[in-house]
Amino acid sequence: MKNSANSSAQSAAALMDDKRTRLNIDFIGKRKIYYTISISLILIGILVSVIFGVKLSIAFTGGAIFKYSYTGDVDKNAAQTVVYDTVNANRTNKLKVSTQTDVIKDTNTNRLVFSVSPEKGGEKFSISSTEQQAIKTALQTKFKDNKIDISETRNVNADMGSAFLRKSILAVLLASALIVLYIWIRFRTIGGLPAGLTAFVALLHDVMMAFAAFSIFRIPLDDNFIAVVLTILGFSINDTIVIYDRIRENRRLYGSKVHFKDIVNKSINQSFARSVNTTLCAFFAIAVICVFSIIYNLDSIRSFALPMMVGVITGCYSTICIAGPLWVTWVTHKEKLAEAAKQNKKKLSPKKA
Amino acid sequence: MYRKVGKPVLFLVILCIAAITYLAYFGLWTSNGDVVTYLINPISKSRFGIDINGGIDVTFTPPKGTKVTQKELDDATTMLKNRLDAKKILDREVYEGKDLNNPSITLRIPHQSSTTTFDPETEIKELGSMVQLVFKCPEYNNGADIITGKDVQSAAVEVQSGSYQVSLTLKSSGTKAFADATKWIHDNSKKLSIYLDNVEVETAGVDNEITDGKAVISGGFTATTAKALAEKINSGSVPFELVTDNFSTISPTLGKSALRVMVTAGLLAFIIICLFMIVYYRLPGLIACIALCGHVAGTLLAISWPQITLTLPGIAGIILSIGMGVDCNVITAERIKEELRVGKTLDGAIDAGFDRSFTAIFDGNVTVIIVGIILMWLGSGSVQSFGYTLIIGVVFNFIMGIIASRLMLKSVSKYSPARRDALYSGRVAE
Repeated sequence: MKNSANSSAQSAAALMDDKRTRLNIDFIGKRKIYYTISISLILIGILVSVIFGVKLSIAFTGGAIFKYSYTGDVDKNAAQTVVYDTVNANRTNKLKVSTQTDVIKDTNTNRLVFSVSPEKGGEKFSISSTEQQAIKTALQTKFKDNKIDISETRNVNADMGSAFLRKSILAVLLASALIVLYIWIRFRTIGGLPAGLTAFVALLHDVMMAFAAFSIFRIPLDDNFIAVVLTILGFSINDTIVIYDRIRENRRLYGSKVHFKDIVNKSINQSFARSVNTTLCAFFAIAVICVFSIIYNLDSIRSFALPMMVGVITGCYSTICIAGPLWVTWVTHKEKLAEAAKQNKKKLSPKKA
Repeated sequence: MYRKVGKPVLFLVILCIAAITYLAYFGLWTSNGDVVTYLINPISKSRFGIDINGGIDVTFTPPKGTKVTQKELDDATTMLKNRLDAKKILDREVYEGKDLNNPSITLRIPHQSSTTTFDPETEIKELGSMVQLVFKCPEYNNGADIITGKDVQSAAVEVQSGSYQVSLTLKSSGTKAFADATKWIHDNSKKLSIYLDNVEVETAGVDNEITDGKAVISGGFTATTAKALAEKINSGSVPFELVTDNFSTISPTLGKSALRVMVTAGLLAFIIICLFMIVYYRLPGLIACIALCGHVAGTLLAISWPQITLTLPGIAGIILSIGMGVDCNVITAERIKEELRVGKTLDGAIDAGFDRSFTAIFDGNVTVIIVGIILMWLGSGSVQSFGYTLIIGVVFNFIMGIIASRLMLKSVSKYSPARRDALYSGRVAE
């Protein structure tokens, strides 16, 4: 190693002269801007979810969705009436049915999509397989020439749904805790706790952004949301670790003579190209999936790919603009406190100064 | 291990990757006349989940508020498995929910390619049907059950004077009770009633005390219904009613179309990423592409060989792990660029690049493993598959992205045309 760590002549200027990278952006200096952007976006996300309500998919609330393929022309309203009558034949707590159509582009198949939910919101209900059979038979009878056939159905028992929701939240918390613990341990030589905590804040930031993405695009939260959140956690922390690793290395190299702020800044600059390129590659991968899923109407994949795309970008952003700068804020703040304490000590015992 | 990496190593590694790719695509098989047996399954013979093959995902629960013991849950699970065996449905997933306060049994059955119609409701109904078999007499013991399905050893179809019957052989537990009951009924000239799922199917007088533990149910059976009933009785009695209000079904045509789309997406993503890597990182980028090929092939093989279920999110996981897997090549290539800029020799830069980047790559991948494990623990079938492909992706990332890449890069750098710095850093060394 040419730039030896033991040379006390190393100064911030010499550090900046390092030819390792030509990039020299002051990320740390602009950190207040980044904090503002992030907080605003998260607030928008929260606002949207408060105003328009958080849509939970039937995976969490319980409910039923039936999709039938058909040929020719079918009167949507007539179909809806058939389903409504069949489903409510033996019920006191009436269910309401909403109908849409969609198309499977790949095979050019038209489909009727029936969503069943309770008329009184929040009421638990369930559709048995016998009822589903009755619905199919009723539709096939009414629309004899339209070749009505099952394409896709989903029935979730409400209790199963809420159990699953609990499990999902638990999983996210567990993953976060494990990851933070891991960072704490791996980076304990350079102050594990602030490293772990700032990484955690960056993760939290990403989860909130993913949530905001789901809210703004009006995608119901379902089991894909959980997979997305967990994957973003894994991916974002990956990014963060690479920068922390660089900070650790530079810390070792340049000793504590160079201010932490400059070390972090330099480290971010050095890892910038890598962060961007990796994010770009992951983005390509998920963007292709997303575009295909939108074109070909693969709902389940789209609800997974779109927020993931957002998450990949925010993962990169949170690493570069949030995690590192936050750590610097922490350290600077602690220094200010220590300095203030020293000043107080001097005032209290002037003779010792 | 990396000290003396000679020129031939490059070709050895490429050969290995080619071999893995071949296996992943074609598999390894022997043929015996017309019968082809696969020793290693290629990706086309993967075990696909129901979102690709079509099929049923159903969770059976006891009626709300019913308390169920672990043994009863296990019995019900065995019974369901028996029924699936009887229907020759061998490719399936059956598992019990872990929480005994919310007992459940989940079945996942892909669509059988042998059947042409897709009738999930009937299949679910048949699987979950009760077959509560009860013999009783209202006057005997206040109408308490004399024999239930639990006391039946086996059931068989018999033809008696042109009509079909189901004959039952009772276990020793039931033989005595049956003998006592039939004696009483005979003596008192009462009638014995047989109930199937709470519906009375037969009532008959008893000619004499039945001590040999054999009973017969006749009553308008056809060959098919008699066989169905015998099968159901044989597969075991149901300790509790199976409620089916939690299920999904997917038609086979829908699934196939989704698969086509995802595969195309994957190919496109692969091509885009490779182009990017080659353009931006040149020689290390090219090596990265070869390594990526190995990564994908290895992942596919790791899924198809052990016949792990592959679902659409699983495929998304593979594609994602391509994007994330290329990361280690990016880190390394950037590092090599840096070391060259600082003035190292080519060989020194390559070594330093790989050495320095290892810790960062390692830590990053461990966290993905943590996430993958949690996803496998938490998820339902489709999300589990995603967790699995993420983890496999990381493993092959280590093998291909770190080890193979390093071997290839060191080896190729021994060739003189490859010794220009510009190929590694995009600029002439300063």
